[in-house]
Amino acid sequence: MRECRIVSQKFDIYQSHKLDIAKEHGAYSSLKDAFALSPHEIVEIIKLSGLRGKGGGGAPAGAKWALMPQDGAQTSYLAVNCDESEPGTFKDRQIISKDPHLLLEGIIITCYAIRSHSAYIYIRGEYSQFAKILQEAIDEAYGAGILGADVMGLGYGVDVTIHRGAGAYICGEKSAMLESLEGKRGHPRLKPKRPEPEWYFGNPTLVNNVETITTVPYIIKHGANGYRAYGTEQSPGTLLFAISGHINKPGVYEAEFGTPMMEYINRYGGGIRGGKKLKAVIPGGASTAVLTAAEAECAILDYEHMRTIGSALGTGGMIVMDEDTDMVEALKNLLEFYHHESCGQCTPCREGTGWSDTLLGRVLDGKGSNEDIDKILELAKTMDGQTICVFAPAVAIVIRAFIGKFRDEFEARVNR
Amino acid sequence: MSQIEIVIDEKKYAAQEGLLLIDLLIREGLKVPYFCYHEALGADGNCRMCMVEIEGQKRPQIACDTNIKEGMIVRTKGQMIESVRRRILELELINHPVDCAICDQAGECKLQDFYMDYGLYDSKIDQAEKVHHKKHIDLGSNVMLDQERCVLCARCTRFTSDITKTHELGIVGRGDHARVTTMPGKKLDNPYAMNVVDLCPVGALTSKDFRFAQRVWFLTSTPSVCHGCAKGCNIFIDHNKEKYKDERIYRFRPRPNADVNGYFICDAGRLSYKELQENRQLEMLIDGMVSKEDEAVACYHKLVADGGKIVILADANLYTEELEAIQKYAHILGAQLCAPLESYRDESFGDDWLKSSQRAANAKGVEKLGIAQILSTDPVALLINFNHPDGSKIKAQKSIHLQTHQMEGKADLVLPLAPFSESSGTLVNEDGIEQFCPKAIWRNEPLMSAIEWIDLLQGGER
Amino acid sequence: MSFVFSEENLAKIEALKLRYPSPAALSLPCLWMAQYQDGHISLEAIEVIGELIGTPPMEIYRVATFYTMFHLEPIGKYHFQLCKTLSCALCGKAEVLEHLIQRLGIRPGESSDDGKFALSQVECLGSCGTAPVMQMNDLYYENLTPEKIDAILESLEGEHR
Repeated sequence: MRECRIVSQKFDIYQSHKLDIAKEHGAYSSLKDAFALSPHEIVEIIKLSGLRGKGGGGAPAGAKWALMPQDGAQTSYLAVNCDESEPGTFKDRQIISKDPHLLLEGIIITCYAIRSHSAYIYIRGEYSQFAKILQEAIDEAYGAGILGADVMGLGYGVDVTIHRGAGAYICGEKSAMLESLEGKRGHPRLKPKRPEPEWYFGNPTLVNNVETITTVPYIIKHGANGYRAYGTEQSPGTLLFAISGHINKPGVYEAEFGTPMMEYINRYGGGIRGGKKLKAVIPGGASTAVLTAAEAECAILDYEHMRTIGSALGTGGMIVMDEDTDMVEALKNLLEFYHHESCGQCTPCREGTGWSDTLLGRVLDGKGSNEDIDKILELAKTMDGQTICVFAPAVAIVIRAFIGKFRDEFEARVNR
Repeated sequence: MSQIEIVIDEKKYAAQEGLLLIDLLIREGLKVPYFCYHEALGADGNCRMCMVEIEGQKRPQIACDTNIKEGMIVRTKGQMIESVRRRILELELINHPVDCAICDQAGECKLQDFYMDYGLYDSKIDQAEKVHHKKHIDLGSNVMLDQERCVLCARCTRFTSDITKTHELGIVGRGDHARVTTMPGKKLDNPYAMNVVDLCPVGALTSKDFRFAQRVWFLTSTPSVCHGCAKGCNIFIDHNKEKYKDERIYRFRPRPNADVNGYFICDAGRLSYKELQENRQLEMLIDGMVSKEDEAVACYHKLVADGGKIVILADANLYTEELEAIQKYAHILGAQLCAPLESYRDESFGDDWLKSSQRAANAKGVEKLGIAQILSTDPVALLINFNHPDGSKIKAQKSIHLQTHQMEGKADLVLPLAPFSESSGTLVNEDGIEQFCPKAIWRNEPLMSAIEWIDLLQGGER
Repeated sequence: MSFVFSEENLAKIEALKLRYPSPAALSLPCLWMAQYQDGHISLEAIEVIGELIGTPPMEIYRVATFYTMFHLEPIGKYHFQLCKTLSCALCGKAEVLEHLIQRLGIRPGESSDDGKFALSQVECLGSCGTAPVMQMNDLYYENLTPEKIDAILESLEGEHR
């Protein structure tokens, strides 16, 4: 396992969020290279690099950028998603508080590549102290002529505005985030039938996760192949994987795609807490299918491998559960989360999240039956693929994996 | 957009490319369940009931968010799609009180209809575990809200935000705590508010005016046109005849007509059925005394025979056929006919949507027939007034009033006239659109229309 | 009982209007400012915001009720928001909650009678690596233990003395 520091290069440097310290360590040094290229050339480099969206979906970033109109005829926007709310995920906050200038550097390049002059950073409301650090960095960057009407004298203007959320997981869904950014309730929008950009007040808009944008300066500096030097053919580069739960050294550690999960857990995470045995791992944020210890043993951290074992890489935020974990309680915990966070727009999600939570509550209270367990599975079926966004299908995945892999624990509650 | 062909349930249909699939399904009368879609409000995609199978798509799709394309193959039936609908419907009912026995919507409730089509399962939901909201909320404008019966289709809220732009209603809260409400301390207050009752597919919004008055399955609906103003909004007259009693109107509802009123009517027009039934003129009166038909007819002929100048006034709410008969009759009598339209103008009533300041339903008909509109101020010997409101302004020595409702002022002879609901005929609305109204109400002892009176008075048989 | 934005906030709002394609986008920033100003968001504030950004008050109200961090009713001055989601639950949240209930004398969802404290259990705060975690007003307190809670409460009392 190689050490790799693409996004986390300055994380260990004292006061790296300050402009002078960041600059000492190379901040904004990729801008001259970037502006020597045409916007189109940058998009091509991003495509070649194989950079994939790091917010959980893993869609190719270059293809998304290429959807933005190339003629610059219409005002366009960049909306950076920092609504990090997926349980088990806490990587973006490291970026905005430890290396905000690398994010701003990425934003400037991305704006130039998509011919936009305005970027918004949508930060979950709870992250107010981290938003403050980022705002200070933005203010410093404006003061130094890095942001504003003429970025470092390069003849291109970029404005960056922080927009704070106020407590809604669903606003991490890109169209819900744009609704929220438009001043509305965070209701996901109906999906377009063919590939097109997102729309902000009717203007073409690119939405990318904080980490995705923060990766861009490295790619500009080291070229597509420099990024591809890490990771696998189909999942090139690195990710700020995170680890929490029953683990000795929880935290965020950058690793390249293709790292075996157990190696990550043992090397970075320092192994299972209290020397206990591993029972299960949720691999990439709460919405990915839980893995049994046996599955975790052979899991490899890249998009393709995780899919072949019936789960997903997601945000790379692993939640580790030891042998003493009550899987019924763990699922109940997550169903309460989804019940609380459903926006309430579509019937299957609004009612399905609540009802599955209620039914599992019955089971947990010892008042449930096997029929209730089956009913929860049937609700998972109703929630899967029948709604506007992927929130409800994610709940279906979670339910199926927990009950499917640990059914005996659920039945034990019923028969008690 | 070009005309294309698509296949639905193995049958070919021609339609405009890009048309919403649900519009085609509705137009062709193909069964598709839906709560949130409405032709006037567009697609919202929240109820997820209008699922259909489209060949080449791995998951079922909602018809309200599908634009039709050449060669599209759609299935609206079959075990798979019906099972999807059944399961979603079950979720709609999870937090619903299922209080049909005391719900006024029973009989015209989409939840009930779809349950009969797709549901028919045993519910295992315990009332105690349901999410509870408020019931019996008086929203104002005659609209009552029961939040527990609501399926959150957002039709009512879209009506006040997109159509009236008055923004009184909104869905607040999140997840299964989401509910329809007004702002605290605010009321639903706009001249079209009661349309939300028709828009509501379930029993969440009911009319304070109609609720508990009559079960809907006892009602007969007859198409008609509102007589509240010259706009000519299309309505259904919902009426019922209980044994031995006279037939009664219980409500007016909007009847869709894209050329006139779309899907809506104003509250004033909706509630005008009440005035129609109040203070009715049912008796013949000679000098204020109730009399028999033969006496009244004799009196009429005597008054006409007394000679002198006769003026006939005609109500601009009468049907064109009636106005024509009056026009001919005036010619025979040598009488001066007028139908002043100024009498009906009410500037405080009109708006730029469905309410016209000209409050006579057939004002345009009067104009088209070339009937004079100036109110004669010269004294005349005899006035024959066919229900015009300004009869008392004519200085006449003698007067005969044919009237639907009791009126101020004295007449030597009063003859009861059938109102529009009790006769049939054509109206021309302010935009020149001719609309026919069939007879809706059949009284035990029918009243005569203007045409029937003229026939009788000219020596015909009743 | 009318609501007026401070001069400082009004200036901020005007400056922000230049950053967005439509003033309607400002509902969240304005709601935040109103809440920081008054401790909660009153209906009067909603009317004022609607006026300022050209949005019907009902739409602002709908927004205010959608996001869980907005309070439409007054709430205790120190709002303890303990994360209850999985990583925190696995790492000892229950013990911290018990201790908070005991020390504050209120249950989740309640405010103390003197208006000083409020306690809530909230969903994932995005700080799973330092579980259990809570947010008190704008600040995160991580790797919580009952002892840490005691220290936090002591420092608050110090503030009051």
